[in-house]
Amino acid sequence: MRRPNLLALLALAVLATLTVVSQADALTGLKTYKLVTIDVVVTPSPIAYAPPKKSQYPSLAAPRVQIAASSTAAWDVAPGGGDAALPLMIAQISAQATPVPVQFVAKADPNAQYLHVIPHEPPGGFAGAYGTTVFPCAFEIYTYYTNSYRLQDWGYGTNKTAGAASGTFPIENYPTTSNLSWAVPDFGPTVTPYWNQGPAGETTWLGAVKQAQQHCIDLTLTVPNAQASGSFTAVVEYALYVTLP
Amino acid sequence: MKRALTAAAAALLLTTAVPQIARSAPAQGSAQLNYKVLPTVKAQVTPNYLSGYGPQGGLGSGVTPAAGPNASLQGGTVDFGNVVVGYTYLYKYAAQVAVQTNDSAGFVVYGEGATDLNGSNPVPAPSTWPIFSTLYWLPSSSANSPFSAATSFNKTNGSPIAGGANGIDYSGTGGVPSAMSVVWSNPTSGNVTQGYDYQLRLSGAVPPSQFNVYIVYTVIGN
Repeated sequence: MRRPNLLALLALAVLATLTVVSQADALTGLKTYKLVTIDVVVTPSPIAYAPPKKSQYPSLAAPRVQIAASSTAAWDVAPGGGDAALPLMIAQISAQATPVPVQFVAKADPNAQYLHVIPHEPPGGFAGAYGTTVFPCAFEIYTYYTNSYRLQDWGYGTNKTAGAASGTFPIENYPTTSNLSWAVPDFGPTVTPYWNQGPAGETTWLGAVKQAQQHCIDLTLTVPNAQASGSFTAVVEYALYVTLP
Repeated sequence: MKRALTAAAAALLLTTAVPQIARSAPAQGSAQLNYKVLPTVKAQVTPNYLSGYGPQGGLGSGVTPAAGPNASLQGGTVDFGNVVVGYTYLYKYAAQVAVQTNDSAGFVVYGEGATDLNGSNPVPAPSTWPIFSTLYWLPSSSANSPFSAATSFNKTNGSPIAGGANGIDYSGTGGVPSAMSVVWSNPTSGNVTQGYDYQLRLSGAVPPSQFNVYIVYTVIGN
């Protein structure tokens, strides 16, 4: 075969391949996505509340007050009107600033009919002890579409090439395994560490044409002993890829 | 003559004796003045306290957030503008609390909602949505994002005055807000400030409406 014919055939093959690939890409598209924020509090927490003490006099006067004569009493008039048994009552000083008005206009999400999240996070976040803790049905996800679809998830902000140092507890970046794992009990007991190599992530579940489904997501948190206690946030991206008409 | 001498001697005695008596009565010594300085505390809050204030986030909603018309630099409302249910937002430089006190033990600042979030346009049913787990606060930082760890505001246990526009009356709660509402604890006297960002986490169940609330900051000396 002559060289020009060979080149023509090669070009035709490349063209055909590109056509097939581009058609395959056109089969699915990203319909919408949601970011799920998961608050984790590793106990013992360093945050401790110290209740306010009773008022005490400030030390604005430069020299310490000294009482004349030989008495070492701290008061020239005894607390409680002279009766030392009575406590001294001092009202706590306080001030209230002009209140801050806050406003927002909540608009409906047009994509909520296809994908939305039902959170079940307890007030103050999920409390995780050192070791492994399971949070059953930490949140639910609803999916629906007129065509077939698949739900994908991954740790928001993770990247396949950024390296382990770019990760933050509890979803560490690849190649370190995430300390937060998920399972869909409706589909089985398999527990999977969250995908931490960025999009397009891992498949959470598949959906058939016009199939509405809502499932619980169980979370499993592993807190290594080297992890400092405190409050942490994990963000998981859930993306709905749909088959295009 | 004798009379005259007697009178002169008496006059001399008087003029010399009286001053000696006057000098010996007070003797000498010092007076110690004791005084007490009552502690004072003052507070001011500035909404939208820094240029660049306003909302960000809503990633995935398809709508870029922008501050609403009631927000203005160093004043007005912390106005998130239009936000989409199901998404999370961060409002940069929402409020700055300034405290002046001579209380050497410092102070504690409480911040809480005068009410729950009041829906008005359209009026949802029920007409309020819990502020808890919806509106959060966190100290201002350039590293903050809509997904940063934050603490939820609480609805007060006190009595809002004029719906919160004039503050909260804590006389029925011992004069102190709930310990859960502490946003700042400072152990010294001085003239100090702290800035805060707000975070809005709209779960999918929030009804479409315009929502308003007053955040009240109360400072109490230690």
